Amino acid sequence: MTIAIHTRGLVKTFGRVRALDGLDLTVEPGEVHGFLGPNGSGKSTTIRVLLGLLRASGGSAMVLGLDPWRDAVAIHRRLAYVPGDVSLWPNLSGGETIDLLTSLRGGADPGLRARLLSDFELDPTTRGRAYSKGNRQKVALVAAFARRAELYLFDEPTSGLDPVMEEVFRREVERVRGEGATVLLSSHILSEVEQLCEKVTIVRAGKAVESGSLSELRHLTRTSFHVATGATPAELAALPGVHDVHREADRLAFDVDTDAIGPVLTALTAAGVSAMTVAPPSLEELFLRHYGDRVES
Amino acid sequence: MAVLGQQLRRDRVVLSIWIVAIAVLLAGSAAAVSSEFTGAAARAAVLQLGLATPSLLALRGIPNGDSAGSLLWFQVFAFLAVAGGLMNTFFATRHGRADEEQGRRELLAAGAIGRLAPLVATAMLGLLANLVLGVLSALGFLVAGYDGTGALVAATGLTSCGLAFLGVGMLAGELAATSRSANSIGVVAVLLAYALRGAGDALGTPHFEKLTLTPSWPSWLSPIGWAQQSFAFTENRVGPALLPLALAALAGGIAFAVHARRDLGASLLPERSGPAHAGVGLRSMLGLAARLARGALIAWAVGGVLLGALIGTLTNAVAGVAASNPQITQVLKAFAPNRQDTVGLLIGAIMLMTGMMAAAAGIQAVLRVRGDETDGRAEPLLALAVSRARWLGSALAVGLAAVAVVLVLAGIAAFAGLAASGRLSDSWRAVEQALAELPAAFTIVAAAAVLIAIVPRASILLAWLVFAAAIVIGLFGPLLTLPTGVLDTSPFSHVPSVPFTDWGPTVVLLVVDAALVALALVLVRRRELSS
Ligand SMILES: Nc1ncnc2c1ncn2[C@@H]1O[C@H](COP(=O)(O)OP(=O)(O)O)[C@@H](O)[C@H]1O
Ligand SMILES: [Mg+2]
Repeated sequence: MTIAIHTRGLVKTFGRVRALDGLDLTVEPGEVHGFLGPNGSGKSTTIRVLLGLLRASGGSAMVLGLDPWRDAVAIHRRLAYVPGDVSLWPNLSGGETIDLLTSLRGGADPGLRARLLSDFELDPTTRGRAYSKGNRQKVALVAAFARRAELYLFDEPTSGLDPVMEEVFRREVERVRGEGATVLLSSHILSEVEQLCEKVTIVRAGKAVESGSLSELRHLTRTSFHVATGATPAELAALPGVHDVHREADRLAFDVDTDAIGPVLTALTAAGVSAMTVAPPSLEELFLRHYGDRVES
Repeated sequence: MAVLGQQLRRDRVVLSIWIVAIAVLLAGSAAAVSSEFTGAAARAAVLQLGLATPSLLALRGIPNGDSAGSLLWFQVFAFLAVAGGLMNTFFATRHGRADEEQGRRELLAAGAIGRLAPLVATAMLGLLANLVLGVLSALGFLVAGYDGTGALVAATGLTSCGLAFLGVGMLAGELAATSRSANSIGVVAVLLAYALRGAGDALGTPHFEKLTLTPSWPSWLSPIGWAQQSFAFTENRVGPALLPLALAALAGGIAFAVHARRDLGASLLPERSGPAHAGVGLRSMLGLAARLARGALIAWAVGGVLLGALIGTLTNAVAGVAASNPQITQVLKAFAPNRQDTVGLLIGAIMLMTGMMAAAAGIQAVLRVRGDETDGRAEPLLALAVSRARWLGSALAVGLAAVAVVLVLAGIAAFAGLAASGRLSDSWRAVEQALAELPAAFTIVAAAAVLIAIVPRASILLAWLVFAAAIVIGLFGPLLTLPTGVLDTSPFSHVPSVPFTDWGPTVVLLVVDAALVALALVLVRRRELSS
C-alpha cells in the first residue's frame, strides 16, 4: 500500500514569513496520526498544502501517492476534510450544507447521515447564520463522516466542542479507523492526541521536532504531582525519574517521568498520602522544558 | 441617562453622516430645481409631462401649480422621506436588536437600570436626531432660496415621517430575531410606504389646468403619502404634515408594550428554519452558485422589468413633449447617437441603462466566490472533488445567465408595454435592442472573473471600478464629448442600435467575451487560495 502522506523538507513562505521550514511528515496507511504543535507552528498551512489549496515553496509532498498540487481533484475524491474554523453560508440550513458538501464527494450514506445528526445532537434545519461555533464545526464533521473516505484530515476538530461531543468525535474516529481509513488530526492539546493517536508528529516553527509512536514519545512528557504525604522531600528526590521537588504550602510538588510513575506511587503509598492532585503532561510544559519556548495555550 | 449618553457616543459618527448626507442631498436638489427650471413656462412643461406619465408620478410625487416650490415638492419630497426613513429604521436596529444579538444589552440589563431604559434612550436619541435633521432641512430649503413658511412645513413633514419610521424600526426590533431580519423589515416598510403612495399617485386623477393631482386611495395608506398632502411651499397645510406622528406613537407604543413583556433575546417572530435536506438543485457547484445569486437576481430582474415597462409608458408622453421641446431630444440623442426618431432614442437610452444594470447583477453573482474565499467557505469546497476552474466557472456561468435574465425580461416587458400602446414594430425593436446589449454586459462580467483569477485581493474593488468606468464612459462619454480612443474602451460604446446594419462590433465583443472567459478559467488554475 502507498504511504498515505509523505512530505520531505516542505517549505512554505508567505512573503517574509516562513510558515513551513523544511517539514518532514510521514503517515502510514491505516494509522491515526496526531499532528501536534502550538498555535502558529504551521499545522493548518501543512494541511492546506496537502490539500493542494496552497502551493509548496520548496520540498516535496505526496498524498495517497499523488502530487497534491497537480492531482488535487483526484486526491479529493478519496478524502474528507474538516477545517479548523468552519464558516457556513448564512442562508443555507445545516442539512442543505451537509448534502451539498457530501454530494460533491459522491453523496452521503443516508443511514449514516441520520445517525450522525442524532449522535452530534445537531438540528439540520437551523440556518448557517444562527449556528454557534461548535455547531458549525459539527456540520462540517457530519459532512466528513457521512461518506466513507480513505483519508480524513481534521484541523483542530474539537476546538469548539464540549466534552460529550468530543467523545462522539472520538467514537467516529475509532469507527473509521476500524474501517481501515487513515486519519491525520492536528491539535495543540497533548491529552487529546494521546487519547486517539498511535503515532504523533510534533511540529515547532514549521519543522517536525519529534515523530514516533506515543510510547516512543513518553520520554518527553512528565506528570505533575501535588501531594500531602508523610514522605520527606529528600526521600522523594532520591527516587529515579522524580524532578523539581519543592514545598508548596502543606504539599509537596514534583514532576515524574512517565515511565517512573509506578514506583513513585508505590513509595508514596508506603509513606502515607492524605491528599493528592495529579496533572497530565501538557504541550506547553513540554515545549518549555525541551525547547525553552513559552507558548500561550 | 447614562444609557442615553452611551448610545449617543457610540453612534455619533454614523448618525452624523446620515443626517449631514440627507441635508446635503436636500439642499443640493433644492438648489438644482430652482436653477435648472427658471420661469413658470419651463416648469409647467415638465409638470405637464409628469402628470401625463403615471410612471413619473409613481417615482416622484404630486405637484401643485407652476411655482418653483411646487416643482421642488414634486421632485424631492418622496426621495427625502425614504432616505430619512431608512436612517431611522437602521438607527433603531443598531440600538435595539443588534445590541441584544451581540450581548451588549445583557451587560446593561445586569446593571441597575430598568428594563425599558434602553428603549427610552433609543426613542429620545432618535427624537433628537430627527429634530436636528428637521432644523437642517429647514435651513437647507432657506439657503436654496425657498420661503420660510414652506421650509418649516416641509421640514415638519420630513421629521414626522422620520419619527414614524423610528417607531416602525423599534417595533421591527421587537418582532425579528436577528438584526438582519429587523433591518429587512424596516427597509421593506419604508419601500412599501414609498410604493403605496407611488401606486396611489400613479392611479390618481390629474388636473392639468391646475397642474396638480388627486391621489387615489393607496396613497392614504402611507405616511409619506400623508405628509405629501401638506403641499409645503404652496398650500402649507400643517395637519397632514403631522399625521405620521400618529403612526410613530402607535408603532412605538406597541414596541414598548412588547418589550416590557418579553424576555431578553426573545422575539415575536421566531427565526425561520430551513429544510433538513438539500433539493437536487443545490447538490452541485452550479446549483450552489444559482442559489446564492437568487435573492439579489430577483431584485435586479424586477428592476429590469420596471425599466423595460417604462419604455412603453414613456413613449407616448415623450413623443408629444419632444415635438415641442428640442432640449429633451438633444439629451436622448446623446445617449443613443445613431437614432433619428424619439421612440428609437428612448429604446436605446433605456436599454443601455438596463444593460448596465444587468452587468451589475452579473458582477455581483461572480464576486460572491471571492466573498466565499475570504470568509473561509471556499476552502471546504475546494477540498472536495471540485477544481478551481469549476469553482470560478460555475459562478461565472451564473453571472452571465443573470445578465441574460435581466435583459431578456426587460425586453419582454418593453415588448408588452409598447405592444399594449399599439406600437408593434417598435416593440420588436425594443427586444432586439435588449439582446444587442448582452455581449457588452458579458464583457464586464467576464472581466470581473479574470480579476478574481489574477488579483484576488483587489478584485472586488477593481471589478466595480471597471464597471463604473464603463458606465461613465458609456452613458456620459458622448455628452462630455470624450475622444473616441476613450469612448472605445467601454464595451457599451460598441453596442449597435436597431435596426442593425453592422454586426462587426457585436461579433468582436463576443470574441472578446469568449477570450476573457477562457483566460479566467485558465489563470485561476495557477493560483493558490488567498484569504
Ligand atoms: N495566508 C497567510 N499569509 C501570511 N502568513 C500566514 C498565512 N497563513 C499562515 N500564516 C503564518 O504562518 C504561520 C503558521 O500558521 P498556521 O499554519 O495557521 O499555524 P497553526 O495552524 O499551527 O496554528 C503563522 O505564523 C501564520 O501567521
Ligand atoms: Mg491552525
